[in-house]
Amino acid sequence: MTGNSHTVGGDTTHRVVLPFYAYAAFSFLAASLLLFRSSSAFTGHFFQPAILAVTHTMALGWGTMIIMGASHQLLPVLTENRLFSVALAYVSFVLAAIGIPLLVYAFYTFQLGWPARWGGSAIVVAIFCFVINIWGTLTGGNRDNVHAVYAVTASVWLLLAAFTGLALVYNFTSPFLPQGSLAYLPFHAHIGIAGWFLLLVIGVGSRLIPMFLISKYANERLLWIIYFLINGGLLSFLFLFFLPAGLSFAWLPIIVVFIALVLFGYYCYCCYRERIRRQVDSRMKISLSSTGMLWIPPILLIILVAALPVGHVDSRLVLVYGFITFFGWITAIILGMTFKTLPFIVWNKIYHARSGAGSSPNPGELVDNSLFRAMMVAWLAGSLVFIAGICCRRVPVLRAGAALLVSAAVLYNWNVWKVLTYKSPAK
Amino acid sequence: MNVVTNNDLQCTIALAALENVLDPEIGLNVVDLGLIYRLEFDEPGLGIAVAMTLSTPYCPMGESITAAVEQVLKETFTGISVTIELTFQPPWSYDRISEAGKIFLSR
Repeated sequence: MTGNSHTVGGDTTHRVVLPFYAYAAFSFLAASLLLFRSSSAFTGHFFQPAILAVTHTMALGWGTMIIMGASHQLLPVLTENRLFSVALAYVSFVLAAIGIPLLVYAFYTFQLGWPARWGGSAIVVAIFCFVINIWGTLTGGNRDNVHAVYAVTASVWLLLAAFTGLALVYNFTSPFLPQGSLAYLPFHAHIGIAGWFLLLVIGVGSRLIPMFLISKYANERLLWIIYFLINGGLLSFLFLFFLPAGLSFAWLPIIVVFIALVLFGYYCYCCYRERIRRQVDSRMKISLSSTGMLWIPPILLIILVAALPVGHVDSRLVLVYGFITFFGWITAIILGMTFKTLPFIVWNKIYHARSGAGSSPNPGELVDNSLFRAMMVAWLAGSLVFIAGICCRRVPVLRAGAALLVSAAVLYNWNVWKVLTYKSPAK
Repeated sequence: MNVVTNNDLQCTIALAALENVLDPEIGLNVVDLGLIYRLEFDEPGLGIAVAMTLSTPYCPMGESITAAVEQVLKETFTGISVTIELTFQPPWSYDRISEAGKIFLSR
């Protein structure tokens, strides 16, 4: 047989990936505790120190850290190439791990001096290292791979979001922008939400979903259309943001991104319909159902934009939008995908050298399914109760919702800990 | 199974043994998954050359699966050397899954 020969073992070492997972798990717990402690802040305006602290713990410590960690593992699979640099991955982790708590502390105490500046700078450098690593991995591998192009583009949007965030921090204490930092928040937030989280989730999800379902469905053309719609929507949003009359057309990028999300929902449905593997585990079901949740934030945004000309934007709507984005769909995807990808990494660490033909467990068996189910119930109930609390502006309801989310975070950490410390049964 | 070989009898024995090597995630063996492309046996019975693939290049489970293939063949044919060539030409596709594999997955 002729053809390309490969050596195995090109996958990324678990030593560099697992710290990202552990850090993210702890951040989820910290964010939930902050949410509980600061529940009363959610009865007022969205721009408050505690809400900024919770949002950045969720966006950076939880979402970004786990996605960065998983990307180091998955990008070699997507690009069919080795990770460009393990050392850069360590540098990314250390800098982000130091920078995030500094920034969150600065937001929580609203002292935007050196902790915010140094923390923000460390995060920007960490993300810059991540972008170099992603870019280097892609350029040495299969460049035509649509999933890898999604990942690289998402990482560039992340760098831009982090850089604008740092600029806003400086603008708070030493104003240099034409307007106050609050005016630029939608710009910073949506580059991060749509440019980073959405693009990466779709890019990686469109590869993992058919892989885990063993689906015959493939439609690269559709994925390219979705890619251009999301990036087109983002670019038009940035353009309109700086146009004096841009507000009148603010609905346009939202509609464009919404169409992309509908198409991605169709892609997921086709993968599910054409799957060879009939049994779909609960972790996969959660990940699939979270793609339906992707549609909720743009619908809320359309309502918000419709309220803009009237001049009355209900801050509750903004709070629900932010909550559903970070504690809703981003968290749902991570909750499901953590217990699909983490057991693989740990299983490989334990069993790869033992080549356990027939004698090793399935990676899914490393997860405690009872804990997983309890976690999902606590998360769903907590999210619904907290949203009800935002809508009715009742602190006890917000506290109850936050307490349920703390329970979900504890159960998540417990299960992650069990997987991380899994020991092979003695023979 | 569509496995190329130069020794049908030895190949049958090897494939039966390789049915014990499972893809850890799917739970289906490497033979029914269609990962084995070729099994060539040295005439004096000194070595086996295996050409096989993975469902995706740089599959995180690749090292485990190839090591298990090597170990099982060494246990089945005592004292024999095993060389594994990992190839992605032709790339693996779902059409390579055997009928038995499809029935297993459809349960």
